[in-house]
Parts: sequence; structure tokens; C-alpha cells
Amino acid sequence: MLKKLLHSREITAVAFIILMFLGVGAINPAFLSPGNIWLCLNSSVVYTVVAVGVALVIITGEIDVSVGATLGMAAAVSGSMIRDGQPWLLAIGAALAIGLAIGLINGFGVTVLKIPSIIMTLGINGIVRGLIYVYTNGKWVENIPFDFKNLSQGRLFGSITYFYLGAILLIVGAHLILTRTKRGRYMAAVGDNIGGATLLGIPVDMTKFASFALCGILAAVGGALYVSRVGFVTPIAGNGYEMKVIAACVLGGISLTGGVGTVLGAGVGAAIMASISRVLVFIGFSSNYDDTITGVLLIIIVVSDALIRRRAVEQARRLRLAARTQHATDGEKGAAAHE
Amino acid sequence: MNKVKKLFLRWETILVLVILVEFVVFGTLNPKFLNIKRLFSGLNQFVPVCIISLFVTFVMITGGIDIQAGSIVGLTSIMVGVLWHDAGLNIFVACVLSLVAGALCGALSGFFVAYTGVQPMVITLGGSFLYSGMALAVSNMSSNAAYQGISDFPAAFRALSKTELFGAVPMQFVIFLVLVILSYILLHRTNYGRKIFLCGVNVNAAEFSGINTRAVVMSTYMLSGLSASIAGVLLTAYLGTAKADMGAEYTLPIITAVVLGGTSNLGGSGGVIGSALAALAVGFLRIGLSLNGLSTQYLDIPVGILLVLTVSFRFAGTNPKLRKLFSRKRRQKMVGGS
Repeated sequence: MLKKLLHSREITAVAFIILMFLGVGAINPAFLSPGNIWLCLNSSVVYTVVAVGVALVIITGEIDVSVGATLGMAAAVSGSMIRDGQPWLLAIGAALAIGLAIGLINGFGVTVLKIPSIIMTLGINGIVRGLIYVYTNGKWVENIPFDFKNLSQGRLFGSITYFYLGAILLIVGAHLILTRTKRGRYMAAVGDNIGGATLLGIPVDMTKFASFALCGILAAVGGALYVSRVGFVTPIAGNGYEMKVIAACVLGGISLTGGVGTVLGAGVGAAIMASISRVLVFIGFSSNYDDTITGVLLIIIVVSDALIRRRAVEQARRLRLAARTQHATDGEKGAAAHE
Repeated sequence: MNKVKKLFLRWETILVLVILVEFVVFGTLNPKFLNIKRLFSGLNQFVPVCIISLFVTFVMITGGIDIQAGSIVGLTSIMVGVLWHDAGLNIFVACVLSLVAGALCGALSGFFVAYTGVQPMVITLGGSFLYSGMALAVSNMSSNAAYQGISDFPAAFRALSKTELFGAVPMQFVIFLVLVILSYILLHRTNYGRKIFLCGVNVNAAEFSGINTRAVVMSTYMLSGLSASIAGVLLTAYLGTAKADMGAEYTLPIITAVVLGGTSNLGGSGGVIGSALAALAVGFLRIGLSLNGLSTQYLDIPVGILLVLTVSFRFAGTNPKLRKLFSRKRRQKMVGGS
């Protein structure tokens, strides 16, 4: 059990976030106060929800860079409806419908028209971003009712916000679906080996379609949460979220080649991404260096991961070779057999 | 006859036709579009994208992707400003140093892509964070506030973009044309160019035939970094201000130009002439639409639609189900025709 835990890819991310918190705590003990830790985690809620959606797409071996614009569009529409006094549920429903529509368009482009997902979603990102300007006329959506903004402040036991609690439930639910149900397992199967999945009779296109649709919906949920948390929507709301969220997924151990990683990792990665700017403030740097640190972290983690993995593969190959040529000692044979 | 047919079927020819159609349509809608001076001054804003897309083509032919070029533009721009304004260097020394920095940034990402085997998308994503963050850090070194940027550059530097050849063609555009020729020779007429294509077709075969594939792949990222910094210098000279966030929104137009130009994102095929024509087509589209009253914020919509439509035409043929649907129709048509 412990071995399995140590071998899982998320453990690097978990260890990293714990070390980061402890390290910053050593420099500035105020960082480790429960209030601050909860603040870090609670503030990651939008990233977390969107990252889970993007993780689903990445696990099926595709990529979605349109979530930033989807989030902005959903936020603009739901925000303006709530401002105009429409029922909240209707506004959130409209946001979800937009997310679903964008997800379906992406899915159609990738599975039916066979457009590479990076190009398809990049194009859709530009289109939707332009449509936000059309919808808002370039103006900010402001004067969101206080009651709606207050939703994001509701806390359970005065620590975790209901929003973040919901995000955690979402992660757990998505994880169970991905690992325990047939259709969920299809996603990793498609991402890992699309040819094999097709031969096994897995509905490859439908699986990809579903992952894009879910990703769009979750990005729209992120948009609604954004309205409540931030309290106003600019035409560039959500700009750059797509990159931050992909970075969160990669930090959390999800491989962009597909099939590898879990949504738990995406959640941890999102928490890291959201904490970095607070960490910088606590160790006395300007939060201007946010992007620099993110970039350095991303490259270091990904590169070291690739190097460790390559070394492990080479070591395993050497062990197998040694066992085969019979020059190996018993100990190595045992190790090779253990492999 | 066959040769003519072949020429007509070439993707580049279609792009030329697209540009001609744009001229006819926008020219009739608004005669100002046909005013050479106006056209070039509109294109000036877009020349950086044209330049970068030439060399991102190299990267995509090796099967990679480069989404960091925009952030290198910003880094170069602010470096030119800070080196000149705060370090007191000669403006052209500052430019050369910034070009070197841009090439180094590209080389760093290229090194990681080539030597660690991590997906190019992840590395250049990290690179785009890193270099735009570095640009912010550099702009904080300046005594000017970051949002103001640095301006009041010497006239000799501004002349880089202000000079006009034959009274109409701006210097930037001339530099772009020179780079088109250079990159064409480099990619299509040299050994090095053949190696780039071979790396994209089959990297293992390239390795076995004695090509140092890693060095080749790395060099393409270096070239695209260098081109991004050339674009950064030109943009700074044109706008007369150095800012850290310049070029941040270039990723979509660059990838659009390269893909629209006929370069496959899977690597192995493509060319710089296509990219150059496609970049110009996108540029003219933006100028034409904005001359006809579309505000610049909306311009991503037509560009995005253009991207999605062209690639869907190209890739829809690879879907067997769609193919069956269309081939049946075509067969009926052929039967009817004969």
C-alpha cells in the first residue's frame, strides 16, 4: 500500500506543496497559521474546478486551451444576468449551457473534423474571446448583488469555504468515476493507446466528445464561481487561465501524452498554482515574480520527472539484459524477477 | 498542362488567390484599402507576427510547437528599453544584446525539448511563463513605472521603422522580405533544411542516418527565439515604447499563420513561403475588417474562424466516415458527368 502510494505520480506534487509550505513557514511563521493555509486553499477554487475539467481532456490525450475564454464568457453572461435581477439558477444554467455548447463544438472539431485539438481549441479561444467583447460591448460587468458575492464567503466551521468543499467533492467524485466506472476507465484507455482502445471496441470518439463537453461545463462552473469570488467581470476575465490550468495539471503529474495522471493531481497542482503568489509575498518578494517562479517550477519539475523516468527505464532494461545473459549475480536476478 | 494543374493545386497558389480576393473585396468596400501607404502602415503592426511565423514554421516542421515566442517579444522590447535608458548603453548595442538574449531564451527551451524528451508544448508553456515573468522583472529594474514603459528613443533607432523605401515601403516590411528569402534558402535549399524535414518525418531514421537530431531540433527553437527578438526590436522601434507585455496576444495569430500556410502540426511538411503568404493574408484580413469599422477587439473572431475552417478542410479528409460520405457524392457526380 505504502509502496503504491510512493509510486503514484501525485506524491511528488503533494510532497512539494508540503515542503513549500514548511519552507515558507520557516522563513515567516505567520504563513503556517491555519487561517492563512485555508486562505491559500480556498483561493484556489476556480483553478481547481477548471483544472479538473482540463485534466479529463488531457487524460484522453487531447488538450483544451479554450477554457480561459469559456470561463470569461460564462462569467460575463451569468454575471450580467444576476446583475439584471434574473433568478440565480437561471443565470448559472445559462453559464453551464454556454460551457456545454463550447465543449461540444470543440469535441465536434476534434472527433468529427479530426482537427488537432491544440489548433481547434486555440481558434475557439480567439473566437469566444471576441464574442465576449461583442456581448459586453467591452464594458465591465459590475454591481453584482452583495448576496451573490457573499456566497463565496460562506464557510464551514469558519475555515473551508463551501465552494472549496464542493471542489473537493468534485475531485473525489471525478476520481471515483475515472477509476471505478467503466466509462471513466475508457478515458485513460483512450489516452494511453488509442489504437488499442479502438480495437477493444471502446467508443473512442464518444469518450473524447464527453471529455470536451465536461471540460466546457466545468470551465463554465469556474466562470460562475469567478463572478461570486471576484465580484466583477472584465472583458479579459479568465485570460491566461488556460495556461495556468495546464501548468497545474502538469505540476500534478498528468502527462500531456495522455493516459497518465489523476484528477487528484490536478487538484494539488491547482493549489500550488494559487499559493505561489501568496508564498512570494510572505517571503518578501513582489508578487510580480509570480510568472517567473511558475515557469521555473514547471520546467524543473517536468524535466526532472522526465530524467528520473528515463533513468528508471534504462535501469530496468539493464537489469533485464543482465538476467538474460546469465552473467548476473543472484541478487540482481532477484531484482530483475521482482521487476 | 499537368505542370499548370500542379501549380494551381499548390497550397501557396490558393493563398495568393485568397489575398487577391481580399484586395478585391476590401478594395470595393472601402477604397482606402488600396492606398499603398495606408495599407503598409496598417501592416506595420502585423509585421512582427509575419516575421515570427516564418521561424515557428521551422519548429513545427520538426514536429514541435512554440507558444513562447510572444513572451520573448515582450522580454526583448523591455530589455532594449532598460539597457538603453537605465544602463546607458548605445541603443544599437542594446538591440544586439537583446537579440542575443532572445536567441538564448529560445536555445534554453530548445535544449530542454531536444535533450530531455519532454513535450515541446509543456516546455514552451513553461518558457512563456518564465520569459514574460523575466520581462516584468527587467521592467522593475527601470526607473520608469512598468505601465508607462520606456519611450523617447533616439531618432536613429526609430528610423528602423520610420524609413520608407521608394517613399512607400516601410523598412520593417523590407526586413521581413529579406528574412523570407533567408529562411527560404535555409529551409528549402540547404542541407540543414533537409535535416529539419527529416527530423519531422521520422526522428529515429534521422538519428540512424547520422544526423545530430538533438542539435537540429534545438537550433529551430533558437531560430524562433531569435526571430521573436527581431520582431520585438522592430515593434519597439515602430511604437516608440518599450513595454514588458508586448506580444502577449501573438500566440493565436502566429499559430494561425503557420497552420494556414500549410505546415502540418505533426511535422515533416510545410514551408516558409506558405507561412509568409498566410501571415500576410491574416494581416490584410485584419486591416480590411478594421477599415470597414470592425473594432480591433473583435478581430480574433474572424482570425479564429479562418483557422478552424482551413484546418477542418485539411483534416476532415482523414476521417474515414466523412470520406465515405463525400466519396459517394463525388462518384454520383462523376457518373452523372460522364
